[in-house]
Amino acid sequence: MKIIVPVKTNPDLQMIRIKNREPILEAVPYKVGDLDKNSVEAALQLQAAVGDTQVVALTIAEGNRKIKDTMKEVLAMGADEAYILSDDALTAADQAGKALALAKAIEKIGGADLIVFAEGSTDNYSGQMGPRVAELLALPEIGYAKKLTVADGKLTAERGMGDLIEVLESSLPAVVTVTSEINEPRIPTLMNIMKAGKKPTTEWTLGDVGLDAAAVAPQKAVLSNLAEEQQRKNVMIEGSAEEQCAALIDALIKDGVLEA
Amino acid sequence: MEKVDCIVVGGGLAGLSAAYGLASEGLEVILIERGDYAGAKNVTGGRLYVSPIRDMYPELWEAAPFERPVTREFITLLNSGNATTIEFASDKFAAQPYQSYTVLRATLDLWLSEQVMEKGGMVITNQRVDELLMEDGKVIGIRAGEDEIGADMTIVAEGVLGLVSTKAGLRQKPSWKDHAVGFKETIELPQEVIESRWHLSPGQGAAHLFMGEVTKGMLGGGFLYTNKSSISFGIVLGMKDAKERADKIDVYTLLDDFKAHPHVAPLVAGGELLEYSAHVISEAGYAGIPQLYGDGYLLAGDTAGLALNQLYTVRGMDFAVASGYYAAKATLEAKQQGDLSAAGPMYEKMMRDTWVIKDLETAQHIPHFIENPRIFTHYPQSVGRIFERLFTLTSDPTEGIYHKVMGSVKQDFVNAKTVKELMGVRKI
Ligand SMILES: Cc1cc2nc3c(=O)[nH]c(=O)nc-3n(C[C@H](O)[C@H](O)[C@H](O)COP(=O)(O)OP(=O)(O)OC[C@H]3O[C@@H](n4cnc5c(N)ncnc54)[C@H](O)[C@@H]3O)c2cc1C
Repeated sequence: MKIIVPVKTNPDLQMIRIKNREPILEAVPYKVGDLDKNSVEAALQLQAAVGDTQVVALTIAEGNRKIKDTMKEVLAMGADEAYILSDDALTAADQAGKALALAKAIEKIGGADLIVFAEGSTDNYSGQMGPRVAELLALPEIGYAKKLTVADGKLTAERGMGDLIEVLESSLPAVVTVTSEINEPRIPTLMNIMKAGKKPTTEWTLGDVGLDAAAVAPQKAVLSNLAEEQQRKNVMIEGSAEEQCAALIDALIKDGVLEA
Repeated sequence: MEKVDCIVVGGGLAGLSAAYGLASEGLEVILIERGDYAGAKNVTGGRLYVSPIRDMYPELWEAAPFERPVTREFITLLNSGNATTIEFASDKFAAQPYQSYTVLRATLDLWLSEQVMEKGGMVITNQRVDELLMEDGKVIGIRAGEDEIGADMTIVAEGVLGLVSTKAGLRQKPSWKDHAVGFKETIELPQEVIESRWHLSPGQGAAHLFMGEVTKGMLGGGFLYTNKSSISFGIVLGMKDAKERADKIDVYTLLDDFKAHPHVAPLVAGGELLEYSAHVISEAGYAGIPQLYGDGYLLAGDTAGLALNQLYTVRGMDFAVASGYYAAKATLEAKQQGDLSAAGPMYEKMMRDTWVIKDLETAQHIPHFIENPRIFTHYPQSVGRIFERLFTLTSDPTEGIYHKVMGSVKQDFVNAKTVKELMGVRKI
């Protein structure tokens, strides 16, 4: 079986500082998204369960100049091979453009029995890649799976629906997106990190997958993506520590946060 | 067991410098660093003396992402009611080649690790070396988690605590009494503000040391280094004093008190706290240097006790780079001779024949000298008193300048205790 795991690398969210409501991205290193590690782990667990399976990681560079190094993390986790699609045009692309690029790359790789996405990207979390790519490749798609099994050429996926669990079955090939609760991603071992450097990595540009800048040009423009500004109460409590505590408790009771 | 030519434990300046030298000559080297990336956890005050190490890897220092060259020096004797600052600027320091630079380790170490990889070295991060593998007293490799890797040579550059090398018996467990603890804040300030507060031309930098009230009389001092658009601001404090006086002094408020001191507050005003960090520094000096090598291994950087507190400056980064450089050089030469066991003695000789160990030896009396608490109380206060008297004018008839100065000097410096102490200065 062949499993393709499209992953996204994003600036290390812990290293980003916000200044004047803008993230400072300068000098922030890129990492494989935390949620993407769940999808890689899911593919690796299927590989172990099914046997004779190849796990292929695929990514779009999106401004990450050191993407080859970043992708080593996925190879160190256990993926067998990596494909990287880099093109300046992709940095500005919107979800439609990126999904198209991913779909074309998947075709060029030769397709797969199963394509495992994360439920969304760790930074922007639009959650569109799975369904869009499935649509472009005309494949069935199951979203937000928290358990996956492959047997007898079929995919079985469980989805948590609040109080109940929905169990879905699909023929292969198929696209699936997985939630973060599906597993605990493994931390690569020293040996596997050393081996990762020797695993094949193929780098493509848009031209290699039969696209050009126009094909992925954004069809919409993001005007603003700021969080709602919250009005703080700005209450200052003064006095000794004891007085402050008492006044704070009173204030919290008054606001209904604490019960009297 | 997988085997490589060399393993380097620790991606600080010592380890990176060793790995760079080895990789440059085509040896198969892997450097193992426990942090997310090289430099992620590394703390320093902030000033790297490049002049001693310029000829080692000159191509690196020309391109390295330093913050600012230090062209202006400030020393402030801080008391509770006054402050005396000496500002020193020299055309020599303000011209190329600069002798020292302020640095941020997260930037510098990360960049160096990229240079190691460019040379074909492997830098593996997020992996902790748990122990050294020993066979008949010889270090034959490392274990990290479940994985064991063998190496002909292991260079241990794991920093000041040296847990791995201590556990393997390669050095004695260091005593906390010989150590200081440094804590610092990185505070963001606009470039123009930095340049105007420290009287700097654009792009140039300052080193500003503080003594006295900073440590409330305990061994240590304050430092402030100007980066591009931030300052590194902190305190170094001897652990022995800190522990002995812990009941009377709230050590954890020292940094806040320092920052709030009326003569310091204007320097940091308006800054935004970017990062807080703390780290241990060896103060043992020459006496603290362990056996630098043994069968299959070399010790480098802080692990080899190579740090120097000269009061007006802390050195350790230049020692780290130099020891890494010589560790690589000795390993390469020994390998060429076909006898790796020659690397250890060669390494030790290189270190002893050059400024590295010599500078530590020259400074060997400093640790004892600075144990005297009066350095951090009496002397800063005395200097403050001289100037306070000199600049005081009241409605009383004033004394002559000579009397003003000499009055204070006599009172504070011409007594048996002080004279004896000042004689002791000759040793340092
Ligand atoms: C507050 C303070 C101020 C200072 N000011 C100055 C100054 O202005 N100028 C100057 O020259 N020096 C200064 N020093 C000293 C200087 O910072 C050190 O001497 C220098 O950093 C030593 O470098 P190193 O490579 O030996 O150790 P480190 O920089 O400590 O590097 C050790 C590395 O090993 C890694 N490591 C440790 N254990 C393991 C393990 N088991 N497995 C894998 N990795 C491991 C660590 O994560 C770290 O990256 C200062 C130190 C402090 C604390």
